[in-house]
Amino acid sequence: MNAVRIATTVNGVRYERDVEARMLLVDFLREELDLVGTHVGCEHGVCGTCTVLMNGESIRSCITFAVQADGQEITTVESLANGDMHPLQEAFWEQQGLQCGYCTPGMLLRAQEILAANPDPTREQVKEEISSNLCRCTGYAFIIDAVLDAAQRMRTIGGEPAPGADQEPATEVPEVPERVPGGEEARA
Amino acid sequence: MTLTEHPPTRVVSGERKWVGQSIRRLEDPKFLLGKGGYIDDMRVRGMLHAALVRSPHAHARIASIDTTAAKQLPGVFAVVTGADAAELTDPMPDFGPAPDKTTWRCLAVDKVRYVGEGVVAVLAESRYIAEDAADLVEVEYELLEPVVDPEAALRDDAALVHEPLGSNVAYERTFTFGDVERDFADSEVVVKDRLRWHRSGGQPLETVGAIANFDRGTGMLTINTNTLSFTSYLFLLAGTLKVPANKLDVIPHPAGGSFGSKLWAVKVSAIAGMLSKVSGRPVKYLEDRVDNIANCDHHGSDRVYDVELALSREGIMRSMRVRSLDDYGAYIQFGVGHHGNALAQVTGPYRIGSVQYTVTAVMTNKCQQGAYRGFGSEVNNWMLERMVDLAAKELHLDPVEIRRRNFIGKDEFPYYIPTGNVYDSGDYERVLDTALELADLDRWRAEQAKAREEGRYIGIGLVTCAERSVFSATEFWFWFDEPGAPVTSMPESVTLSVDATGGITATLYSCAFWGNSPETMVAQLVAEEFDCEPQDVSVVYAGSRNGLPATGPGGSRTTVMLAGAVEGASGRIKDKALKVAEHLLEAAPDDLEWAGGGVQVKGSPDKRKSLADIAIQTHLFKHSLPEEIESGLEASKVYDHPYTTMPNADRSNLGVFYPFVGHACHIPIIEVDPQTGEVTFLKYIAVHDCGTLVNPRSLAGHITGGTVQGIGTALFEEYVYDEDGNLQTQSYMDYLIPTAMEAPEFVIGHCETPSPWTPHGIKGGGEGGRMMAPAAIAAAIDDALAPLGVRATALPATPARIVEWIESAWAR
Amino acid sequence: MKPAPFTYHRATTAKEAVEMLAAAGDEGTVLAGGQSLVPLMNFRVAQPAHLVDINYVDELDYIRLDDGWLAIGARTRQAALERSGDVAKAAPLLSEAIRSVAHPPVRHRGTVVGSVVHADPAAELPACVLALDGELTLEGPNGERRVPAREFFTGPLMTAKQTGELVTEVRVPARNGEGGGHALVEFSRRHADFAVAGAAVSGDAIALFGVADTPVRATDAEARLAGGADPAEIAAAATDGLRPNGDVHGGSAYRRRVARACVERAIRGARNGGGAS
Repeated sequence: MNAVRIATTVNGVRYERDVEARMLLVDFLREELDLVGTHVGCEHGVCGTCTVLMNGESIRSCITFAVQADGQEITTVESLANGDMHPLQEAFWEQQGLQCGYCTPGMLLRAQEILAANPDPTREQVKEEISSNLCRCTGYAFIIDAVLDAAQRMRTIGGEPAPGADQEPATEVPEVPERVPGGEEARA
Repeated sequence: MTLTEHPPTRVVSGERKWVGQSIRRLEDPKFLLGKGGYIDDMRVRGMLHAALVRSPHAHARIASIDTTAAKQLPGVFAVVTGADAAELTDPMPDFGPAPDKTTWRCLAVDKVRYVGEGVVAVLAESRYIAEDAADLVEVEYELLEPVVDPEAALRDDAALVHEPLGSNVAYERTFTFGDVERDFADSEVVVKDRLRWHRSGGQPLETVGAIANFDRGTGMLTINTNTLSFTSYLFLLAGTLKVPANKLDVIPHPAGGSFGSKLWAVKVSAIAGMLSKVSGRPVKYLEDRVDNIANCDHHGSDRVYDVELALSREGIMRSMRVRSLDDYGAYIQFGVGHHGNALAQVTGPYRIGSVQYTVTAVMTNKCQQGAYRGFGSEVNNWMLERMVDLAAKELHLDPVEIRRRNFIGKDEFPYYIPTGNVYDSGDYERVLDTALELADLDRWRAEQAKAREEGRYIGIGLVTCAERSVFSATEFWFWFDEPGAPVTSMPESVTLSVDATGGITATLYSCAFWGNSPETMVAQLVAEEFDCEPQDVSVVYAGSRNGLPATGPGGSRTTVMLAGAVEGASGRIKDKALKVAEHLLEAAPDDLEWAGGGVQVKGSPDKRKSLADIAIQTHLFKHSLPEEIESGLEASKVYDHPYTTMPNADRSNLGVFYPFVGHACHIPIIEVDPQTGEVTFLKYIAVHDCGTLVNPRSLAGHITGGTVQGIGTALFEEYVYDEDGNLQTQSYMDYLIPTAMEAPEFVIGHCETPSPWTPHGIKGGGEGGRMMAPAAIAAAIDDALAPLGVRATALPATPARIVEWIESAWAR
Repeated sequence: MKPAPFTYHRATTAKEAVEMLAAAGDEGTVLAGGQSLVPLMNFRVAQPAHLVDINYVDELDYIRLDDGWLAIGARTRQAALERSGDVAKAAPLLSEAIRSVAHPPVRHRGTVVGSVVHADPAAELPACVLALDGELTLEGPNGERRVPAREFFTGPLMTAKQTGELVTEVRVPARNGEGGGHALVEFSRRHADFAVAGAAVSGDAIALFGVADTPVRATDAEARLAGGADPAEIAAAATDGLRPNGDVHGGSAYRRRVARACVERAIRGARNGGGAS
């Protein structure tokens, strides 16, 4: 084994470890540090399921070696909640921006990055930005709703509420139409 | 009540508190926090890791395998060849037509039958080392002629995928439902076409994985996995692994997506279990992405259709003849069940009176088929709507008008279609009208006209499709006049227990969670029964040992079946609670009613006992209760399929096997770039009617998610095998899953025409938009390129294919 | 899909990197962004025995205007190029093109030089450097040399770089508002995918990608472009002689057709003031 000593900060905690040079960052996080929130999807850098932040920027941890995290700061999904859920997590929950949850940690971090750069994005902007991350379950509609919802929550935290620009509405899910009570009793 | 009559008709109450609410999902917090508990999140002390050596060839004899170097690599515990595996395990469980002739094993034995088939399993300290060792295994192959094209596979001189079968046809039969000859003779118009649906697959972001732990002390094999379906059939997996059925325990984990591909995906468990027995250590086998693309046992349908649709001059559809050649790949684990899914709704929402259906299942050197969202019925929807549109064109009828003329009317339900299956309820006109209203077609037709003047091609597609739900066991065997195992059980179970504080726990018994919302569904249903808060219901999953029979998700069955089980279990608890309350309140049974989450004397709400009051009595105060009341407050319900009838002897009627049938209308608006063949979406209108909705937003998520998968199927996704059987799409650079930019903006509508036969009138809707989207998009492409005379007859309609169609239309 | 074992070498200067590469001989590969390399390693299609990591070579992280050239060091991330005002002025084609290169998370790590050296025939940056008549600076055991883009791309994923050499820089002539319009038009199956085919136009230069084993300059067509011919005619001239390879995303004739549409649209785009699509 070709072991390399690295020192890396993950979610604010400093770690020193000897790692095999070929160990992928996603495996380092999951197996060495027991941070299983970051998931393995395609293992070749296309799906974005393994997204983490390095020095605040989103990267794909399945095509990054752990040795490249030496001296860097890594942020994973586990950093978002601090007792309470982060507004992003609340927004995804409220909007049902997840179904199986597997792409969700990567999506949350990408969303965090998107909103840090642009706190008031349009629907189109969100759509383009999250296209870096695949979701197989939702068809993206409610993920976009969730990011826009989070943007609003985050604009109103920590000070004055800041209204957003005019945006297209969230995906409309109609009210369940009025039921016809007992309407089916005719059928025997 | 025997299960051969339809269930009693229910009156669906309009007054509900929790069913119908789009509450936040109970499932979500753990996933949001990164604590999902997926199979790879689990670690067992001493656990080893497996990797496979996969075949690089489509068809070859295995001449020799040298594992010496692999075994000598430090950190390697075992290297198991297919021949070794054939001693350690029996063949895989197989519901196909002739398992002894198309024998399927967890690793290939004397020959490999598709690129990606597992040949050798390596067990090592880490996945990294296991792969290093896999690279050191030397396999010598003698190449055989690959069988790739499904029609070429039928030729007498074709090489055989399975020599014992004697041909490449695993199954062939023609079914005739109704008087097809007469109906064709009576029809003035017959439209005919050949259609080609190429295989794609679920491709969830999480692959299949299992951690098997064989305890040599107790003989118990415990398997943790993200696939647990058909628990009553697990004895077959035990048989494969050569352990007694009562020494196998399978424990479910949440699955990171499935879309059918984790339905009974037992090969991964078999490999892990085998390696654990061999090594005496816990073993994790987690498919990597290439394993899951190439070796998943769950490719989707791969069909050539030759279809004739017979109509009157006024466009009234009378009959159809369908010949379906289906490329099943190298094995056929579910037989032709996919065609059962088709036959459940073969005539769509129309009054077609007779059907002739020929299915030819051909074997080729490809990964076998399994389940993919729709399970073969979405393919039928596409085929049927293509024919309806062809007829409309031939008869110069508007696509909306021809559909209206043929709809089953809302007063005609329950409606038995020619195959014998029943549609429980529906109001197709209402769904269509709702969709048309949402679609604002006048505006889009105007845009289309303007675009044409500019040389741009906008298209509007419209389809109306059936969406069956809740399959019966009969669709596995009604293919045979003398089936070996004419099974009739396909249940789902729930246990409800009330603790001493009145808190309710619901236990589920399969891998119920794939990304659907079983916890939320159950919580809302339980809350409806007991007037508690859904978020106070604790929902847990039990493994198969001590587990009740359960089927798991598939065929959009979960919500209906869980609803039946919850209703049954709730009823039993309420019965017992009433008896306890009689005693506590010193009242007669007739004077009591269940209200507000407790039992009270009718008309005297102050004389009541809450569920908690009752529960604590049952748990702690036995001597205060009548003798016949046992301690505890818990009940289970094994909810069997509520409406299944047997096929008749000659199979001219298959009986009822998929009775709860929803409906949807999809209207995509697209633009096609004639230079590149690119399709972009301008809008997507989808209106679904799945009966009563438990959680409308959750169902809407299946509409959007299912539709985007349907877009993938229609435009992007294909497992491409070249003429030598090489799989050309072994990564996500070539197998293209839609990103957010390929997803349209949706306008969603719901209608609710309740089922008369299910709790609350619920129908299944989880397969969602994928059932309709491929058909709708084909229609939109035709409409866009109508000036060029293009008709989409194959799928995926990739840009290159669309250009090909444009070019041949030019040439004509 | 885990990579095969390798020996890891970390350089902190360009000179060190070159020494490490020389020592590794045929078995050495540079690890920069890794966005192309590591996927290949995970598939075990690439199994370099030695990886020379240049991510800690700070001296190669630069975007400089230098004597009429815009020079980009080997450690410079694609995202930095995207943000750079200097690049927007001096080589606006690159600024436009970079937005079509994969997705932001990939551009956070991927390097400009890395993409050029990887030389995927369907990639945007090699074609842009070719269109701009750029140069690659290589450092090796025998010192430094420069190779013009026209000579650099020798085959699919193949370049004129020799074993033991490190490409330290790519540079293109700096514009100062002169040089005519520019545009990059490509067609890909999905947003941000590799192109099925594409065209980069800058002034009178036309470079095509996804159409051959390397990016190509459409020199015949360029004469017509300079002569002000009709875009459709120029596009035909640029693509008629091409024989692209086919793959699952399209056959040869299809790619040619797409390339032609891209050339025509790029020329129109360039004439209308530049842009990417």
